[in-house]
Amino acid sequence: MNLVVIGLSHHSSPVELRERFAFAVAKIPDALKSLRESGVASEAVILSTCNRVEIYAATALEPASAFAELKRFLVRRSGVAGGCDSVLDCGSPLPLSSAVPAAKAPEGWRSSEPRGSSQVHGGNAEFSGDEVYSLAEPQSLHHLFKVACGLDSMVLGETEILGQLKEAYALAHRHGHTGARLNKAFQRAFNVAKHIRTETNIQRGSVSVASVAVELAEKIFSSLQDREVMVIGAGDTSEKTARALLSRGAHSIIVANRSYDRAVTLAKELGGRAVPFGDWIAEFQKIDVVISSTAAPHHILDRTKLEPLMKLRRHRPLLLVDIAVPRDVDPEVNFLENVYLYNIDDLQAIADDYLRLRKEEIARCEAIIAEKVKALLHKHENRRWKMEDGTSTSPSSILDSASSL
Amino acid sequence: MAWFTDRHCFLLAVVLYGLSAIYSVFLWRMGFRKDDHVNYFLLLAAFALHTVAMFKRGFSLNQCPVNNLYEATTFVAWTIVAAFLVIGLLPQLRFLGAFASPVLLAIGVFALMPALDPPHGPQPEFSGALRSLHAATSLLAYGAFGLGAVAAGMFLTQQHDLKFHKLRAVLSLLPPIQRLETITGWLVLAGFILFTIGLEAGRYLPRPENAGYWQDPKVVWSIFMWVVYLALLALRWMRVPSNRGFALSIIGAFMFLLLTFWGTNLLSPLHHP
Repeated sequence: MNLVVIGLSHHSSPVELRERFAFAVAKIPDALKSLRESGVASEAVILSTCNRVEIYAATALEPASAFAELKRFLVRRSGVAGGCDSVLDCGSPLPLSSAVPAAKAPEGWRSSEPRGSSQVHGGNAEFSGDEVYSLAEPQSLHHLFKVACGLDSMVLGETEILGQLKEAYALAHRHGHTGARLNKAFQRAFNVAKHIRTETNIQRGSVSVASVAVELAEKIFSSLQDREVMVIGAGDTSEKTARALLSRGAHSIIVANRSYDRAVTLAKELGGRAVPFGDWIAEFQKIDVVISSTAAPHHILDRTKLEPLMKLRRHRPLLLVDIAVPRDVDPEVNFLENVYLYNIDDLQAIADDYLRLRKEEIARCEAIIAEKVKALLHKHENRRWKMEDGTSTSPSSILDSASSL
Repeated sequence: MAWFTDRHCFLLAVVLYGLSAIYSVFLWRMGFRKDDHVNYFLLLAAFALHTVAMFKRGFSLNQCPVNNLYEATTFVAWTIVAAFLVIGLLPQLRFLGAFASPVLLAIGVFALMPALDPPHGPQPEFSGALRSLHAATSLLAYGAFGLGAVAAGMFLTQQHDLKFHKLRAVLSLLPPIQRLETITGWLVLAGFILFTIGLEAGRYLPRPENAGYWQDPKVVWSIFMWVVYLALLALRWMRVPSNRGFALSIIGAFMFLLLTFWGTNLLSPLHHP
């Protein structure tokens, strides 16, 4: 029984194509059932996320045959034309302007890549078949472990994929589509992910500006609970930063923007309140974190304005996150006691340093994964050599017995 | 094993404080990114040896071992490490040990100077309990002030790194500066309360004849230190010094205490008859 994997990811295909192969969660059990009934796989797990669609299967077929069948299965389910092996029959040939409507992305599926980044023809991305990768043992196990550890993710070391992989496995297992082979492989993958998380820095730190800002806040304040956050200027990054702070327990958000309507809209989304742009200084006394990203060509906050406000704060620290270019906050402000000012370059430098640290860990993680794959294969190999009467032996002991005769 | 005295035991403890101090330098070079389990257990082992040393001395004297400068100094170090071992149970505060171990090493090396441990003379004829209370609470107070100074040192380190955008500010496992500031305040307050109890207990101790109480250098020094810490706490409550100013003041006050404690003790007829 061979464990194989076939799929597309952000490495091999644009989002316009991936979304067409994506599986809705509700449809996965049927897809797995169909896959197993076709005889291609005796066990299967389907992983479908924003950045990858993969099928992990335990199959008795030879890898080449299994890949062809699995690819055909993927193509049929997606309704995407082309990409089939010219030797094999892919069913009724489907021209690009197919009578079968192309599969839509499942409901609730959100693309993580900006549109327009791929080769698109007539609104549909071309599928050549090269976008699908296929791996047999031991590479398939290696790939599974890498995916679980976040080493194959768009953001190196991200942890969300492990949760998604666990959900995919749990769904397949719940519906009885996994067996000894996949159970062992996936459980081992989860253990490896945990091991790598504790033993290496691959998942350490934040690689986005918003997350770095939250980490800084956590290094300043004992707790983010009951912290008041002000957003000046309703930009995309400042919104993400505010959301990240809220998710860590920040108390409330005050939004100030030149366009009051935009401030109200954003405040409503964040569960906070809006203030007119001219009044934001009046709110300053009780604010702990300020995220500023206006389009102002000059400094909106300088030392002269901030110094008297700091006196009213009774030495409570203040974190200023200035994401704007040109900067909203005068750098001189950082010299004030209890003020911690970070601009976009400072945050990006920290994020880049974290990413560099993660990259430095790749080799170590790969070595750990290689060792674990070898151990798993060795264990599997030993089990295969168990004789029918239940005694166990190994290839080397068989050779020893033969030589002693 | 009669040759293995309490001083030998304490010497071993100081060796472990030294190893801990060396490891702390390694942790500092790593930007406090590595968890501090090793340092905690080194200090725990040192504390065990240190406690054995104090017990041996106490049993040999049949009273609380705070009778000379060596004993008083070792007691101060003991309270610092004891307080750390309790506070350090919280993972985020475990790095206090990395900052405390150089202080403990310095105090330990100083305490081992032979001149600080002369042979004991005849015991004064008064109750040991009040004397032990006075000595123990005063020395516990010094320990709390010491650990407060250590926490203030951590605060200044972390604050500097945050101000100047050092990567280790986020990478390190040091606690947030607001928490360090709170811990510093609580340790100094605890030390002040203990110091007040110690001073008050000392007022009722019998004195040798012709030894004035208010003129004694150690008493004057103690009252001065009491006023200094009271002033720092009062100003802190009024939010007058900045956080950085408060931290620097706490460190300065404890440095002054460390540097002048032994001298005033030697000059005091009440403490050094």
